[in-house]
This record gives sequence, C-alpha cells and structure tokens, in this order.
Amino acid sequence: MKTRRGRGVPHSTLERNAETGSKSIGWTAGALSLALILSSSAFFIPQDYLLALIVCDIVLVIHGVCRRGDFWILGRVFLVQLVITLTLYYLIHGQELLLQGALAVVRVLLAFIPGWWLSVSCKPEQIGEVLAWILPVKWAFVIAASLSLLPTMTTEIREIYQTQSLRGAKISPKALRDPRNWSELLHCVIFPLLIQLLKLSKQTAMAAQLRYFGKHKRRTHWR
Amino acid sequence: MGKVLNFSLQDALFIGFCATLLVALKSMLRLKLGIAGHSMFLMTFFYLICYGVVGRAGSITACGLLSGLVAMMLSIGKGGPLILIKFGLPALAMDLSMLLFSGLMTLKLRCILVGLVGCFAWAAKSWVENLLVGMTIQVALVQFMLSMLKGGIFTILAALMVPSVLSRLKAHDLLFNEDAK
Repeated sequence: MKTRRGRGVPHSTLERNAETGSKSIGWTAGALSLALILSSSAFFIPQDYLLALIVCDIVLVIHGVCRRGDFWILGRVFLVQLVITLTLYYLIHGQELLLQGALAVVRVLLAFIPGWWLSVSCKPEQIGEVLAWILPVKWAFVIAASLSLLPTMTTEIREIYQTQSLRGAKISPKALRDPRNWSELLHCVIFPLLIQLLKLSKQTAMAAQLRYFGKHKRRTHWR
Repeated sequence: MGKVLNFSLQDALFIGFCATLLVALKSMLRLKLGIAGHSMFLMTFFYLICYGVVGRAGSITACGLLSGLVAMMLSIGKGGPLILIKFGLPALAMDLSMLLFSGLMTLKLRCILVGLVGCFAWAAKSWVENLLVGMTIQVALVQFMLSMLKGGIFTILAALMVPSVLSRLKAHDLLFNEDAK
C-alpha cells in the first residue's frame, strides 16, 4: 500500500479525506450563500411571496432540529420581541394594526432562522476556510490565530477571575448585576487580560515573522 | 480601504484577539446577566481600547468586522451573516467620528462622544431593520429610542473606563505604538 513519505498513513485514505473535505467546504459555501440570501429576503421580499419563505425556513428548522440544534434560543427571542412589539402597537395604534405588528416580528424571526441553521449545520472551521477565500491572507491568519488561541484566553480569564474572586473582588455573577461593580471586573480581570493579549500578540507576530510569514506571495497551508 | 486596514502583524493580531475576546465575553455575559443593551458596553470598551493601543484610523472598523466574522464562525448571536453589520456598522461610525473629533476635546469626552455615535449607529441599524420588516414609523421610533437609552447608558459607562485603562497601560509602558502614546 502506498504511503505518504513513510508516515504510515495510507495514500488512498488521504485522498478520500481530501475529497470529503472539499465536498464539505462546497456544502459550507453553499449554506453560507443560502443563509445570506434567505436572511436578506426576510427584509425585502413582498408580502405575496412570504409564504414561500416561511416554507423554506420551516425546512431549515426541521433540518437544524434533526442535527440537534436548540431552536428554543430563537423561540425565546421571538416571544420577547413579540410581546414588546405588540404592546407598543396596542399603546400607539390600538387593536387595528396588531396583525401588522405580528407580521413584522415574524419577518424578524425569518431573518434570524438561516443564521441559526448555518451555525447548526456547518462546522466553524469550515466557515472560516470559506471566509478565507475572500479575506486577505493576513486577516485570515489573524482570525485563525485568534480562534485557536481562544481556549488559552478562556483559561487565562478563568484563572484571573478565580484568583481575584478569592481576593474578595465583587465580580461574581450576582454582584455583576449591579453596574457599579463593572469597574471592578474591568480592573481586576480585563486589565491583566489586556496585558496578556499585548504580550501574546507580540510573541505570535514574532513567531510568524521568524517563519517568513508575509515574505512570499504564494501561500502554503498545513492540512 | 486596503491601505487603511494595512496594519503591522502585531497590531492586526492584537485587534483580532480583542475581537475574539469581545465575542467570547458577550456570549458569557448574555448567559449570566440577560440585560438588553449590554453589548454596547463591550463593543465601546474594546473598540476604544483597540484605537488607543494601535493608535491608527481603521483599527475600530477592523475590530468590528473581525468581531462580526468571529461571532458568525462561533455561532454567537442570532443574525448569521447579518451579524457582520451589527458589529461592523457601529465600528465604522466610531472610526469616522474619531477622525472628525480627533484632538478636539479631552480624551474622556471624546471617548463618550465617539461611543455615543457608535450607539446611535447600532440603534439606527435596528430602526432601519424594523422599518424594512414593515413596522410603523411610530413603533420603530419608540424601539429606536429605547435602544438608544439602554445602549447609551452602557456606552457611557464603558467610555468612562477607557481613559483610566489606557493611562495604566501607558504607565506600564505597554503601548507599543508611539502614536498611541
């Protein structure tokens, strides 16, 4: 069996993986375009075609729920928006225009559903790879670096947060309900974190530049 | 536009880290607090910090666009591709107003004013959206004013904190850009 440079991975498996990868990238690109079109349509489509859009979005919701997406996130936003809007309509216009208000909130929901479906049906790294087609290389690298360093940042935040909590800083979720304590969160957690970010950006930039990042026009990708 | 967003790799990475942190904190705070309009607090704070540290026009817009992209990729927020506008539009407004007000007032006042311009863009975006989905002008206007009021309070709170953080960063000699100093 053929292997790649003696690493022990069968060549046929690598080819199959690459083919599957390019297929799912194509799917992600299609899903991204579809989400963009459907979201925009919710704002601009005439009333007569709204039913067709609702049917499309119902299909997306069914697909999303089948892929274990939590539709309640959108449902909650929809209910809150519906209550606020209908109350305002009732107070300003009376009962006459309540249906118009409800229809407006339905349109808002229709604008949100494709985005939710996109997040449920596509992997984040594949969305990133598709976006890298249109982004300059440097910014694609910045996004990739930021996302890969997110766990490090999260660990850093948690450690700083726990240490400052032990010192008695008023930064518990309950204390943060009072905006007066937000400055404490800023000085005890965010300020040390910003220092870490400055250090991290300096180190990452230096590491990339030492590996000749930005020196050649033709980029290579590690897969 | 390409020239405006042509930052050094170190600056670009700092902007990227700030954008990622903004999105991560936004998702965490939404779960814990559930207060409407708090996103303007984080947006104003991180956008102004980016400008303060990098010290160049375009840094706020870059941070806003990156935040939108990261939010879309991490599936935070509800808008999908529309979330780019949610983060990008206030950032662009803040960047433009920063150019307009540069050197005019004290840093604190400028931060508040620029933050409020961003808040206005954020609320105006919702207003236009509401009009597009067919709400009456009166209801959309009331919702705009509510957003402006809630977002404005959070914006002012964040803008008031930025000068002290920047002066502490400067005191620790951590502002790597000479212009920012």
